[in-house]
Amino acid sequence: MIGSLKAIWAKVAKLRGDLQVNFGSYILRRVIYALIVLFVIITVNFFIFRVMPGDPVKMIIDPKMKPEVREALYEQYGLKKPMSEQYFLYLKNLLTLNLGLSFTTSRPIMDELLERLPNTLKLLGIALILEILIGVSVGIFAASKRGSAVETFVTSAGLFTHAVPGFFFQLILLLLFGFLIPIFPIRGTMSAPPPVGAWAQLLDRIHHLILPVFSLVIINFGYWALYTRNAMVEALGQDYIVTARAKGLSKKTVLRHHAFRSILPPIITIIFLSLPGIISGAVVTETIFSWFGVGRYLLDAVLKQDYPAAQGAFYFIALLTIISNFVADIVYGLVDPRIRVGGGEGK
Amino acid sequence: MKKRGFWPNLLKFSQEFISKPQGRVGLFMLAIFLFVALAAPIITKYDPIDDLYLAESMAKPAWVRVFPDNRNLPVTVHAKLGLHSWKTNSQFNLKSDEEIGENGFSFEVSPEKQTELLYQFRFESDPPGTFNFETQYLVKAPEDNTTTLALLMISPNGKEWPLWKKTIYGSEDETELLIDSRQMNLKFQLGLTMFDEVSQKVFQEKGNYKIVLRASTDGEPAMISFIPVAVNIQGKLHGVLGADHMGGDLWSQLVYGTRISLLIGIVAALISVFIGTAIGIASGYIGGFVDEFFMRLADVMLSIPSMPVLIILSALMGKSIWNVVILISLFSWTSTARIVRSQTLTLKERSFVEAARASGASKSYTMVVHILPNVIPLVFASLVLLIPGAILLEATLSFLGLGDPTTPTWGRMLHNARSFGAFTSGSWNWILPPGLAITFLSLSFVFIGNTLDDILNPRNRERS
Repeated sequence: MIGSLKAIWAKVAKLRGDLQVNFGSYILRRVIYALIVLFVIITVNFFIFRVMPGDPVKMIIDPKMKPEVREALYEQYGLKKPMSEQYFLYLKNLLTLNLGLSFTTSRPIMDELLERLPNTLKLLGIALILEILIGVSVGIFAASKRGSAVETFVTSAGLFTHAVPGFFFQLILLLLFGFLIPIFPIRGTMSAPPPVGAWAQLLDRIHHLILPVFSLVIINFGYWALYTRNAMVEALGQDYIVTARAKGLSKKTVLRHHAFRSILPPIITIIFLSLPGIISGAVVTETIFSWFGVGRYLLDAVLKQDYPAAQGAFYFIALLTIISNFVADIVYGLVDPRIRVGGGEGK
Repeated sequence: MKKRGFWPNLLKFSQEFISKPQGRVGLFMLAIFLFVALAAPIITKYDPIDDLYLAESMAKPAWVRVFPDNRNLPVTVHAKLGLHSWKTNSQFNLKSDEEIGENGFSFEVSPEKQTELLYQFRFESDPPGTFNFETQYLVKAPEDNTTTLALLMISPNGKEWPLWKKTIYGSEDETELLIDSRQMNLKFQLGLTMFDEVSQKVFQEKGNYKIVLRASTDGEPAMISFIPVAVNIQGKLHGVLGADHMGGDLWSQLVYGTRISLLIGIVAALISVFIGTAIGIASGYIGGFVDEFFMRLADVMLSIPSMPVLIILSALMGKSIWNVVILISLFSWTSTARIVRSQTLTLKERSFVEAARASGASKSYTMVVHILPNVIPLVFASLVLLIPGAILLEATLSFLGLGDPTTPTWGRMLHNARSFGAFTSGSWNWILPPGLAITFLSLSFVFIGNTLDDILNPRNRERS
């Protein structure tokens, strides 16, 4: 679900290399890089829907539409113009977030996506925060008690993350707590009709959130725990830790103020770098729990062959990913201690 | 690393591998899955896709009869009555006849003796919901012959149920025959009202039932051919794992699913490792623009959300497992490329590579002959570690309904289970097996991969 550890380490190393220049040109580089990725995604998005077999016009224009609506759409997408002109029109539409109309609802796709975005952010955000809090603390604890049961637990949790299909685990949770012991709702973001009163509504929404969030936390926290534990063990082996201990500082102080400090930058980076994977995973989680979010919108659009909606949702998700990647790069530049010293020292 | 020859090295390697508990457990689990995949046609007799309506929709596994509540539930009877299944009276001989179809049989009937084929089976439970017979027959006889064919069932108490009877004048070409207990005309033919269930009446008793195929003719002898008669009594209990919503056999879907998962996992990992190794060696050894380009490309791949892309592409490219394999490989070469590249960078500075270069070896020659063999061990570990990812990704795509509908995969089983109400009815026999199979297969590769990585990766060796 989340990108491989080695790849992320390589990325961190790369960023360190870039950082050696200075912060201003570092940011500039990251902006250019983000724009390149954006451009690649837009171009790929443009071509896969036109190069693939089948009539591109049919993919974009609903055959059931009235002639005048169809004409307006032809105009909007410029489908009668040459390919190159179409491409620039497409570029303009996407950059101004004009994603067109959905076949199935005939509403602007952007409106539909924005309606769903808060739900996705809520689900993924809460799950991510809990995952990290639990994962990082368990990881640190495991690193401080080498060879203990906690360490075995962390290793097995990491294995669980890698080997158990997340959707299967979620299905089982749903089966257990939705059907066999029906204490949680089995579908949706809120009850229909919603309960009366703001307080009751909030509780109802939380009630719907618990199961999906819990499943995501269980699936992913092992990843964070294992990562933190490995980074901590490596940090604890460094000379300055030995020095600090020799100075007579307590184990707790060394753990908190020396070792943990040193692994904080990579952990913060990895949080942001894992966002593409987490956003990817949203499709599955939202489908299983019938969550009214962006990921399920994409899958529904694909299954209903609503191509403009699928294209729009994909672009939207890619945009989210690029933004989060960019923020990750900037945050990394900010938390890396060498930047504050003035940078340029390298290793 | 000292060169000690291939075989001693391999021996030492396998000893080291076996000495690690994770490696042993991983190998053991993988061996079981490999056996199941290879022996699939022996382990199960049903086809996972084509054999439908074997049992009642969502039948439970046959072995739940051990619980008292289920003791009297009917179990599926599914037989193909061919050449060797029938008991015959000695007046004529059954012959093999491949002309009419696979495993077909034929026999001669003459006016002197009405001939009778007989098959007996035990049925010891409550009556089933439905049953049916399916076959094809062919009659070759002179034109003025009148041949009569009949199929009947005999209850344990001797009552005869004439299910089908046909009089044929002269010859008849291959003809399909389907007898279904729900057919209205069958009810009238048996003297029942339209509100009676044929299966309830026929299978009232427990004991030995007989299926009889009768043929008679006048005039010259006639040749009658049949393909094996498929007898299908749809039970409420079925096979090892029960049945899905279409009465398909879940056990056979699980067994054949092993093949697909292994195949997809291994092929996808092989392709991506191949791409990754090629790119890694090229960018590490050639460096410069090539390096910059591929590493940037890898960066871009890392920041593209793979699942949405896979969903879009698999919808556009059509539902085929090979598309899934290609898509998965395109998204997982980056980690291998990185590992290989960094290893290549250190190898490049080693004396044997420099010696090769000094003696005039070309770039491509050096890369293939000197660099490649030295990165293979590393690549091997990452190959095995890529397999579980590919297996999970394929399962996820199939689960979302984007897999190949004509291929039995574990993900598709779970997709069907979710779409057709296994969850509302609590059909654990449909949900648990595929999920556990995916988990254990992935786990076996993770175990093996971790062990290989421990042994082969130089980084780990230095540390210990």
